Amino acid sequence: MTRGYPITAVAIANCLGTDNRTVFERAFAGADAFSPASDFYEFPFATVLGIMPGLPTSGVAWSAQGLDCIPTRLATVLLPSVRQLRPAVRAAVDRWGARRVAYVFASSTGGLEETERSLAPDPRLPLSSAGYRYVDHGIDAASAAVAHHLGVDGVCMAISTACSSSFNALASAIRLIDGGLADAAVVGSADSLCRTTIFGFHSLGLTAPTAMRPFARDRAGITLGEGSAFVLIERDAEATRRHALGWVTGIAAASDAFHHTSPHPEGIGGQICMRQALDRAGLTPNEIDYVSAHGTGTRLNDAVEAAAVRQVFERRVPMTATKSLTGHTLGSAGLTALILAVESLRRQEIPATLRAAPPDDSLGVAVVGELLRVRMQHVLVNAFGFGGSNVSVVVSRPSAEPS
Amino acid sequence: MTGRTTIGPVQILGTAFFSTHHASAEDALAGRERPFTPPAYQLLVGRARRFTSLVTQMHIEVCGAVSPDPADPPMAVFATRHGEIQTAERLIADFRETRAVSSARFALSVHNTASGVYSVATGSRAATTTVTGANAIAAGWLEASLTVIQTERTVLLSIADEPLPAVFCGPVASSGVAAAFLLGAASRAGRRVELAIAPGLDDPELDPLQVLARGAQAAGRPEAATVALGRIQPGAVLALRFPSSEASA
Repeated sequence: MTRGYPITAVAIANCLGTDNRTVFERAFAGADAFSPASDFYEFPFATVLGIMPGLPTSGVAWSAQGLDCIPTRLATVLLPSVRQLRPAVRAAVDRWGARRVAYVFASSTGGLEETERSLAPDPRLPLSSAGYRYVDHGIDAASAAVAHHLGVDGVCMAISTACSSSFNALASAIRLIDGGLADAAVVGSADSLCRTTIFGFHSLGLTAPTAMRPFARDRAGITLGEGSAFVLIERDAEATRRHALGWVTGIAAASDAFHHTSPHPEGIGGQICMRQALDRAGLTPNEIDYVSAHGTGTRLNDAVEAAAVRQVFERRVPMTATKSLTGHTLGSAGLTALILAVESLRRQEIPATLRAAPPDDSLGVAVVGELLRVRMQHVLVNAFGFGGSNVSVVVSRPSAEPS
Repeated sequence: MTGRTTIGPVQILGTAFFSTHHASAEDALAGRERPFTPPAYQLLVGRARRFTSLVTQMHIEVCGAVSPDPADPPMAVFATRHGEIQTAERLIADFRETRAVSSARFALSVHNTASGVYSVATGSRAATTTVTGANAIAAGWLEASLTVIQTERTVLLSIADEPLPAVFCGPVASSGVAAAFLLGAASRAGRRVELAIAPGLDDPELDPLQVLARGAQAAGRPEAATVALGRIQPGAVLALRFPSSEASA
């Protein structure tokens, strides 16, 4: 990559809050936003969850008023981000034309929660008001409604690569712009809590019984969360440069080719994509100010990611794990971390990894345990997923934009 | 502002087609059925074969059949509308009935299961992605073609879907179907194809079996052909345009 892509708008919603301002204030204040799992469902094991505030918890229908689409939990999780992004998307539509603004959506589970409520109904869960339809199940369940709501008529597609989904969607959006098929792209991602994933991660021994503690000595697994994260990226032009909140300056993907759910012992896929993302950004490892880790809090994942970061950076580069704040939002995890990285570049603050003490010194990495104020230009963000799918993105602050 | 309406050309370097109920693309197009025949998916051996779903087995079957160069493993684009839908149904039944799920089944439940299984089986560390949704075939072709054009590298496109369990009340398909296309840069020798975006019905319900069979058949013949792939944006469909081999020579 010889140039970058301006991020001209961001929108985020998760357990920290349902608007950018609240999410950012709480994230950089180190707020603990996790809830007992029983607020979502009575599981036969102990765990906590990152539940988005304002969602009904029992006996009533979901509502996605304003989105003019199916009232699923996925749609309800999407809606706050879509609403926030709409003014900027309208400006992009004015700039380029509706058919030149693409919509690329990413999710790991899509509308699976809606399917669960149909196939495994439970009186403790809200009812679907519209009745079950298969179109509410897919990854792209709400895509047409969201694209219509945003007023975009460009290429529309959906990506699902587990926890790296949103970064692969970002890569697809960049391909559309580079390929001349779009001048701007809304890259959206969302995953709602659902029973399949919580039972599933528990079956693999990966859910933490208490709030997750990434890179800590006594880390015990993941806290699953839900949320949505959207960015608007545009072609590099005078008008878009002016509005840039940050720049995507490098992105790369690689496979582990090792195991379906366990990472390669040396994190080889992660090493490859981190190096390639740096190459494409035209940066050396020393120019990265911190790494926003995938940081799931499992014994193995954190150890392998730390090993990969040590290999690539050859120094104790600061690392933080924002999943300790948001929970693991699965297909939305990459963009969630990227948006927090954009905000961190604006604030010149690295958000703390919660509950990282006592640190696991054997990992040999410098985990940011308290909010750190530092001059920064570039952040590398990782998103790794099942299937050995690894993607890294370099995001740079506007003053560091490519010439 | 007007946009691009054609993408490419790219070259098709290899093609494979599989249907659980048709012996070939020609049979599928002619409606000649056979009894259910599972894929052999010989790329997977031993424990790797366990727990794989029909959709993953079909992906592996067609990927193996186009034989990418193992010394230079291609980037890969997998496309599937329903993903691991039969596995999803079993997982939901599991926790409904036993309040627990199988870890092995859950591990292979994500949409990119096939790409992970493929990269492990072949040792490929190349980038992969998985395109999904109602327009997965069209979007998969677009993603793969743009990747070829922008990287000048070979890209493996694998498209597959297994029949939807009846409980979902969704699109009915009696057979599982898959196709793989090994795509190369325009400078390579192969079957030339271009992608075209044209005005079309907003939500054409194209039969995936017919779309994949037509694409595989056209890739193997010298005659000019156009194969509609499905909606790519509101009011527009993406199509493959094959020139006659003589014209493209």
